[in-house]
Amino acid sequence: MKAKVRNRVLLALVCTALTIALGACAGDKASENTSVISIGIPQDIEDSLDPHKAVAAGTKEILFNLYEGLVKPDSDGNLNDALAAAHTVSEDGKVYTFTLRDGVKFHDGSLVTAEDVKYSLDRCADTSSGDALVPAFSAVESVTILDDKTVALTLKEPDKDFLAYMDVAIIPASNEDPEGNPIGTGPYRFVSRSPQENFILEKFDDYWGTPAYIDRIELKIIANADSIVTSLNGGSIDMFARVSQAMTQQLSDDFEVLEGTMNLVQAMYLNHAVEPFDDVRVRQALSYTVDPQEIMDLISDGRGTQLGSSMFPAFGKYYMEELNDLYPTDLDKARELLAEAGYPDGFSFTLTVPSNYQQHIDTAQVVAEQLKRIGVTADIQLVEWESWVSDVYAGRQFEATVVGLDASSLTAPALLDRFRTDAGKNFINYSSQAYDEAYAKAQASTKEEEKTAYYKECERILAEEAANVYIQDLPCFVALNKKYTGYEFYPLYVQDFSKLRPVEE
Amino acid sequence: MKYFAKKLIGLFATLLAVSFLVFLAFAVIPGDPATAMLGTQATPERIEALREEMGLNEPLLVRYAAWVADFVRGDFGISYSYRIPVTNMIVDKLPVTLTLMALSFLLIVFVSIPLGITCARYRGGVLDHCIVAANQVVMAIPAFFSGILITLVFGLLLHLFTPGGYVSYQKDWGRFLGYMLFPSIAVALPKIAMTTKLLRASVLSETRLDYVRTAYSRGNGTRAVLYRHVLKNALIPVVTFLGMALADMVAGSIIVEQVFNIPGLGRILLTSISNRDYPVVQAIIVCIAFLVLTINFLVDLVYQMVDPRITIE
Repeated sequence: MKAKVRNRVLLALVCTALTIALGACAGDKASENTSVISIGIPQDIEDSLDPHKAVAAGTKEILFNLYEGLVKPDSDGNLNDALAAAHTVSEDGKVYTFTLRDGVKFHDGSLVTAEDVKYSLDRCADTSSGDALVPAFSAVESVTILDDKTVALTLKEPDKDFLAYMDVAIIPASNEDPEGNPIGTGPYRFVSRSPQENFILEKFDDYWGTPAYIDRIELKIIANADSIVTSLNGGSIDMFARVSQAMTQQLSDDFEVLEGTMNLVQAMYLNHAVEPFDDVRVRQALSYTVDPQEIMDLISDGRGTQLGSSMFPAFGKYYMEELNDLYPTDLDKARELLAEAGYPDGFSFTLTVPSNYQQHIDTAQVVAEQLKRIGVTADIQLVEWESWVSDVYAGRQFEATVVGLDASSLTAPALLDRFRTDAGKNFINYSSQAYDEAYAKAQASTKEEEKTAYYKECERILAEEAANVYIQDLPCFVALNKKYTGYEFYPLYVQDFSKLRPVEE
Repeated sequence: MKYFAKKLIGLFATLLAVSFLVFLAFAVIPGDPATAMLGTQATPERIEALREEMGLNEPLLVRYAAWVADFVRGDFGISYSYRIPVTNMIVDKLPVTLTLMALSFLLIVFVSIPLGITCARYRGGVLDHCIVAANQVVMAIPAFFSGILITLVFGLLLHLFTPGGYVSYQKDWGRFLGYMLFPSIAVALPKIAMTTKLLRASVLSETRLDYVRTAYSRGNGTRAVLYRHVLKNALIPVVTFLGMALADMVAGSIIVEQVFNIPGLGRILLTSISNRDYPVVQAIIVCIAFLVLTINFLVDLVYQMVDPRITIE
């Protein structure tokens, strides 16, 4: 009898528990309230919240909403005054003078002072850990406070393009823990985070510029690519910035798919220090064989923009479309070049690809198939991103790799600097006297047109010497719930949440 | 008392060995946290400076000794990637994984014991055949796959939960449990099948024994005999299996957390491994080892409760 009673009680308990659980099964629908938006991001912010130390593109694109510099890029690629009310560049391009905007506040409520600006710029140029904290700032000679509202920055060498780097974040000198407690001046401020779960931002009420529309942004980390579509369709997120072509086809009618470009140079990067890639004829043969159009057709339904050099169309004045036609697909020509170079029967090499980027893996697979046509075998080796960075990028221990390189600022050097013979970032060990000369001339030039012409010369040299097998600028699809609108594509790798707004009903 | 002392020493020795192995593993596999953090900005000088700052240039044994010393004092270190104390991260995420395990365990116990006994009672019948056949199928499905099926059926077709719509327990316990129910079904399913099968066999072999006949002769019904007399004896092998299953579920939940997008210990562990976030990985692995050892210890205690003739020494 006792056992029976006990069983009944247990049964009742289990039933109650199940009822509560199932009753609560509505799940976490992204709020009906449009003053909150849930946005999925593919990885957590793991490198640093310190704007000068953050390196991952996925981190920087989020920090763009928290921090601002003296100038700020807009979606058309212009640099507008932000924390500076005005700026002047001296005739010789060596001294940049900024007049600070009045009444700009940090997220902690304090006013932005000339000291904060000097502190931030000096910090970027700080060389105590070897290089300057922000590499471009190694060109800075000094930062001086002229008066309460004016700061001057002097360069070691003239550089008319330096303004593009002045978007580095201005942070308060008083903040002792910028990594754990991010304080900036952006339209959104940091509220809280939970590792691998979420990252929460709230609208900054004292923002100096056009205020953001949406009060609260909940970034949810969705590390498993397979659950992006279910999370969108299920309603737990309202937006995901980079979905694949295949995913867009599975989205429900609640979503609008916006199309832009990723703004990166996807190519098969070849290590010029290893045979046979030191031979220009081999590199050209590969370029004649790899067909970007076929790659785009197979991977993304023909979407994407073919590239012929290390420059993408978002950089309007530097982009040279004509370079795309330099290597039309021509297998006979490719075989001829290979034979000339001493590889009539082809050769084989290892193609290292970071395993976390599906788009590069897909491209590598098509490239490997295409290369078989001229007897060249590419063995694809997938490596973790972390090993890719240490072995391929920093260690330069590789034969060839497929990745996309992006631009960290709106300047030609952001894409072209790495191909100088002695550039630290020259992971492909490219070395060309003609290139170095053209690049040096571009740097030294103070005339806008002349400068552009020299940078174009650089691009032409890269293309003619087939420095890399250029493929494409990938298409970028953004899935956005139809309840919201206002998404803007930038020529840089950033997400601007402050432009998002609910649709008026 | 002596038994506890022995167990305790064993526990510490195992934890030490486990943590040292993790240290060794990280020394052997390529890559280091400095390059992981610097990403494409990694230059030899910056890597060197950062390694120095993080104390990674010390010899392995020195680092290990320092880590053990801090750990004993309750200081698990600071995460390289998140710059927050590892203790906070674990305290934050442990309830998630523990809930997943607890829910799955409850499901296993409350579903498989009645099922196993029912099978044994009606052995050879239609119901028995159906359950045995279903068991074979379910046993063969790994948790991550049943997880995908559950998402598809309960999430996308029946709309019982929002796939990927995990709600933090800090926000709303009810909805948290509601969401966690489905991953725990995924974790529990194969174990339910195995436990049912085991219990059925165990009950069947018990029912042939003399005490069962005696119990019947005293006027008990089949139900009473099975639940009050046979079950206790039949449970011994099942308890052993459940203990093992529980330990195994720690690993199983890591995978299921990925499928259901649950930010538990497993998720943190995986990302910390790829970021080479040593302090976090160390602490989580030691935590998991501790869990498994505790479970084993509890299993020993349960033996004694089920069958007082067993004494632990």
